[in-house]
Order: sequence, then C-alpha cells, then structure tokens
Amino acid sequence: MIGLIKKDLAMIKSNWKLVGMLLVIYTVMGIFGEIDISFLLPFISVMIMISTFSYDSYNHWDAYVVSFPHGRENSVRAKYIATILLILGTSFLTTLLSFMISYIHTGMIPYEQIFYSLLGTLFGTLFVLSLMYPIIYKFGIEKARIGIFIIVFGIVALGSFMAQYLDLSFLAKSLSFLENYFVLIFISIMILMSYVSYKISERIMRKKEF
Amino acid sequence: METVLEVKDLCKKYDHFALDHISFQLPKGMIMGLIGENGAGKTTTIKAILDIIQSYQGEVKIFGLHHQKEEQQIKEKIGVVLDEMFFPEILTPNDIDFSMKDIYKNWDTKLFYDYLKTFSILPNKPIKTLSKGMRKKLEIVTALAHHPQLFILDEPTSGLDPVARAEVLEIFQNLLDKEECSILLSSHMTTDLEQIADYITFIHQGKILLSKTTTELLDQYGIAKCTKEEFQNIQPTDYLQYKKTKYAYEVLVENKKAFKEKYAIAVVDKMTLDELMLFMIKGEKK
Repeated sequence: MIGLIKKDLAMIKSNWKLVGMLLVIYTVMGIFGEIDISFLLPFISVMIMISTFSYDSYNHWDAYVVSFPHGRENSVRAKYIATILLILGTSFLTTLLSFMISYIHTGMIPYEQIFYSLLGTLFGTLFVLSLMYPIIYKFGIEKARIGIFIIVFGIVALGSFMAQYLDLSFLAKSLSFLENYFVLIFISIMILMSYVSYKISERIMRKKEF
Repeated sequence: METVLEVKDLCKKYDHFALDHISFQLPKGMIMGLIGENGAGKTTTIKAILDIIQSYQGEVKIFGLHHQKEEQQIKEKIGVVLDEMFFPEILTPNDIDFSMKDIYKNWDTKLFYDYLKTFSILPNKPIKTLSKGMRKKLEIVTALAHHPQLFILDEPTSGLDPVARAEVLEIFQNLLDKEECSILLSSHMTTDLEQIADYITFIHQGKILLSKTTTELLDQYGIAKCTKEEFQNIQPTDYLQYKKTKYAYEVLVENKKAFKEKYAIAVVDKMTLDELMLFMIKGEKK
C-alpha cells in the first residue's frame, strides 16, 4: 500500500509549484488584506488528488493494479490515505501561516478562531472526499463529475429552500445540550463519514471489472 | 512435470461473447503461447486468471494455490504485461522504481536500472515522452524486476521493432534457462511464438480449438496441395480444413506423414502458425 501512496504522491509532484504559489498568495493576501482564504489550499489539494483518477483511468492503471498483491484493496486505501495526508499537510501549513499572519496583524494569535476555521476546512474537504470517491469508483471520473455537480447543486438548493421556508430554530434549541460536545461530535462525524465512504469504495472496487 | 498454472473449465458470459470451458495447463519452466484472432478470448482468459474480471465460473490454480484465496502469495511471484498501456504517463521510470519497491517484496532496483540501460530508457523522462515501443519496453522491464516465477504477458511485443522484439525474446529465453520461470504469452506475432513457445493454445470464439506442443504442431501438421480430383478422393476424417485457391485445393492435415502414406499427393508442406490460424478460422470442411 505504501508503494501506491508513493505513486499517487509522485503523480501530483508537478502540482507542488501551484501549491507553493497558493501559499505565497495566501500569505500576501493575509498580510495586506482582510480576506481569509486558508480553506482554499486544502480544497485544491483534494481536487489535485481527484485529478489522479483521470490519469489512472486514461492509462488503464486500475486493471494493472489488480495484478499487484492485494491490489484492489490497497489501491483504494492508498487513495484515501494519500488524500487525507495531503489535506492534513496543507491544513497544517495554512494554520501555521494563519498564526503568523494574525501575529503580524494584531500582535496576538486567536487560537480558538483559527482552530474552528481549521475544523471547518477539514470537515469540508473530508465531506468532498467522502462524497466523491465512492461515486468515482462506481461510475468513473467522467460520469462522476456530472453526478457530483448534480449532488452539490441539490444540496445547495435544498439548504437554501430550508433556510428560506422552514423554521429550524426548534432544532437548534433542542440540540443546545450538545453544545459542550460540539468539537467531539464534529470530529466523530468526520471520522465516521470518511470511514463509511472508504468502506463503500472498497466494496465497489472489490467487485469491479476492468 | 510440475504444473505452474492450471485453468479448468473457465466460463464467462458477456452479451455478445462467451468464454466456453477454457482449460489448459502450463508446466514449470515452459512457455505457452495463446493465439487467436482479435476478440477470440485471449485477453479475457488472461484477465480472469489475474482476477481483473470477475463473475466467471471455473477454477484457476497458480503454483498449486487457489488464485483468489492465496492472492497475495501468488501475485508476489507473477510478472504482468497487459495489452493496453498502463502506467500513468506523467510518471517517470524513477517514479516506477520509487513505488514498486514498496509493492513487491522482491523488487530489485539494480536489476530495474540495468534493464533500463539495456533498452536505452532514460529514467528521469516522463512516460508521455516515450514512444509506444519504449513504453512497452518499460512495462516489460517492470514485470522482470521483481524476479517473478510466472510471467503473464498479453501482447508484450506489439509495437516493438524487430530488434527490440528479438532483445525481449532473448531476455525471456535466458530467464527460462537460468531461473526456471514459466510464461503464458498471448501474441499475434506467431513467428515469435514459433521460436520460443513450448506449447500453443489456439482460442477461437471463446473456445479452445487446440492445445499442443509447438513441435507437435509444426512437425506433424502440414498443408497438402492437391488438384480437384485428388481432393475429392480425400476422406473428411483425414483432414481438418481446406481452402480452395485459384488453381488448386490446400488441405490442412494433422499428420502429414500418415497423410502422405495414405494418399499419393506429392506436396505436403510444413505449416506456420499463421497458416494454421487462417485455415482453422477461414477454412472449410466437406
């Protein structure tokens, strides 16, 4: 499996320049402006990893990988781990930069604010991963793009509808007792959705023909 | 003789095609050539052996082990080249080595780079800059570099020039001499198979038409050339297929010596695998 993680990381090495450039832009915008784009880099890193599916599919890698020892299972595991490592790595970098930028701006570091921003970024990126990867494994990258567009559009439309026409304040009140466990629940949901997504992808890959 | 690969009653149904009870055995230290026209079922057979396709019936044993239950143990010892290019083209040969050393326990970096040098493949060039032939060579080099005991090669020499083909075949032949590995090789280059294969298995429309030693095929089979009158005297049980040419009849016979003795037909030529395929697919029977 480590070999397959290394292969995925080798495939995205040409994107390191882009990542470096984004870090510079983020730093400059952070120092001279007010806009917080710390979420951008981890999201782009997920998109970069998704691009590796295109290369794999175009070059018939998935059929070849089955000829490796435990190839089916390891290829899925490697994809998830490589993506999560990338998300964590880029989130760590942007968090460090956020500390630095805040210190330059105010002379102090708003740990709590940065922590919640990091949590939101991790949740968002893992949500994209958890949603997209099983769809990509099932339908292939080309069809998955359309599917994802429909799903994301559907979620946004549903959210807008609910926000506009439904009064959900009762839900917030009834769940207020969970406030103290917010972080724990959030992290648990992230782990759970990633794990369920991984298991679904693994199951799809185990039965897939090439 | 020890059997390395045993395929028994392999069946797989698609909408317009089916593998129909494919069975053969590959003894240790031997090369078996799979021949047949495009779409005959050679690649499907190879994919089933490697578990790339599923939902098939039948049994596949490799090194005496069930190919799905003992998958890891088996696949550590198999070198594979598939019919389609399979390396992501943004990788370089260096990246292949970087990854493969953690995929195969027996990966031999030195051997990999030695073969790259033999085939003049630059290790730091992205695969997309390599020609089709060079890519194929890289795939073969990768299959060789973890010291497999069984090679499963689907059209490994397609796209290679004659010199490279000869180099590749020589490498496989040397390996067979030294390490007692075995090779299942599908190819349209039947002249290559005539040179190196010990067994030939001919697949047509998902069925095995014949599976014999190459010597048996090339030495015993023959093509008799006869007139219309001579042809009419031949009993249908004494030949496999015939072709009518402009001036004569050509008849594929299973045992040219016995045929010559029975019929007073002067010309019974040796047969090539290409001719065998043509007769078996395009020929007729009375």
